[in-house]
Amino acid sequence: MINLILYLLTLLLSSTIAGFVGSLTGLGGATVLVPIYTLFLGIPLPYATGASLISTIATSSGSASAYIKDKITNVRIGMSLEIATTLGAIVGSLIANIIYKMHLEDILFIIFGIVILSSVYVQLTKAKDELPKNVKPDWTTKLFKLYGSYYDQALKTEVEYHGIRWWLGEIVMFVAGLISGLLGIGSGALKVIGMDWAMNLPLKVSTTTSNFMIGVTAATSSSLYWVFGYIEPVLAGITAIGVLIGALAGTKVLVRIRNSRIRFIFIALLIILGVEMIIRGVFHGL
Amino acid sequence: MDFDSVMSYTLRIGVIISIALIILGFILLAQDPTALQRLASRHSIFNTSRVSPIQVLQGLNRFDGVDYILFGLIVLIATPVIRVILGLAGFIAERNKLYIVITFIVLLDLIIAIFIIPFLYK
Repeated sequence: MINLILYLLTLLLSSTIAGFVGSLTGLGGATVLVPIYTLFLGIPLPYATGASLISTIATSSGSASAYIKDKITNVRIGMSLEIATTLGAIVGSLIANIIYKMHLEDILFIIFGIVILSSVYVQLTKAKDELPKNVKPDWTTKLFKLYGSYYDQALKTEVEYHGIRWWLGEIVMFVAGLISGLLGIGSGALKVIGMDWAMNLPLKVSTTTSNFMIGVTAATSSSLYWVFGYIEPVLAGITAIGVLIGALAGTKVLVRIRNSRIRFIFIALLIILGVEMIIRGVFHGL
Repeated sequence: MDFDSVMSYTLRIGVIISIALIILGFILLAQDPTALQRLASRHSIFNTSRVSPIQVLQGLNRFDGVDYILFGLIVLIATPVIRVILGLAGFIAERNKLYIVITFIVLLDLIIAIFIIPFLYK
């Protein structure tokens, strides 16, 4: 009985920490959650990724609602890119199922580690909150109505923007969806790259719109994971609650510790987790 | 109230309902510690490949804790889907033809993932 309570509390605590760190680093809870569950708690990878997908929906829907109200999220651009993320998610989930059937999850551990390390790298190199270069609209700007405006509280001005290269955004989004279905994460970092780098949208619009899109991507993969049997109710239920609590606490703290050293400590922690995931995959694969 | 606000509230209400159902499920499960013990293990063999959403709905009448948790998870998965449907309604109201088509394709992807592939897989 005590073991049982202890186990449940460990799950709740780990998922709360994952949601907290994920929200502070901007990478989402799943990126931290899956390594903790698999490396430290010995939970099988399919169950860990299934639970993390579910938690991704909870945080996306929970926080997206606030951003839509602030009118920073561009619902139209998000919807147009979801064609590619949902398709990618279907393909990724099907590939994941084949990999699990063939008992090749070591490959997934290695891919997971690489994804963590590359998203940390992207985060460290990116200039923060800067407005994009002013580029000429192209044919996709007009056709897909890739424009909008929002009120920037830091700059205290209304920012008007437009996106370009819709097709390149779609390609990046397909990959983001694929990774999301394969690893059970939200792939927020890749989605931001798709909008910020490929489509030249302001970083604030990219991050909030990406957050809004993550829920639809994860819902696609989740329903497939459900059929494949990768969702264990107790684990997924506790994880959803824990990650949501952690993420909400994270957003409250975020305003205060922006750019501080604490953030770098968490990023260092992510690097360690990424390396450990690769080591785990390589050694089991040998 | 504009469309964005409707969407915003839908997402929030969906999350609240689902979390409430999951918590209720755990409270019901706690009445039967042996059942909880069996499920709460790293290698629990009970997972979603064994239950269909219809069975989950039937379990709600029996006050089965696991089915309440699973129903909460279904509601959570459904929130983004409802969001896409609301988006479609919004673009229809705007008479935005291209975006009606785009949103319809997204919905089609979701239908493939939720209904068609599971049906073929069984």
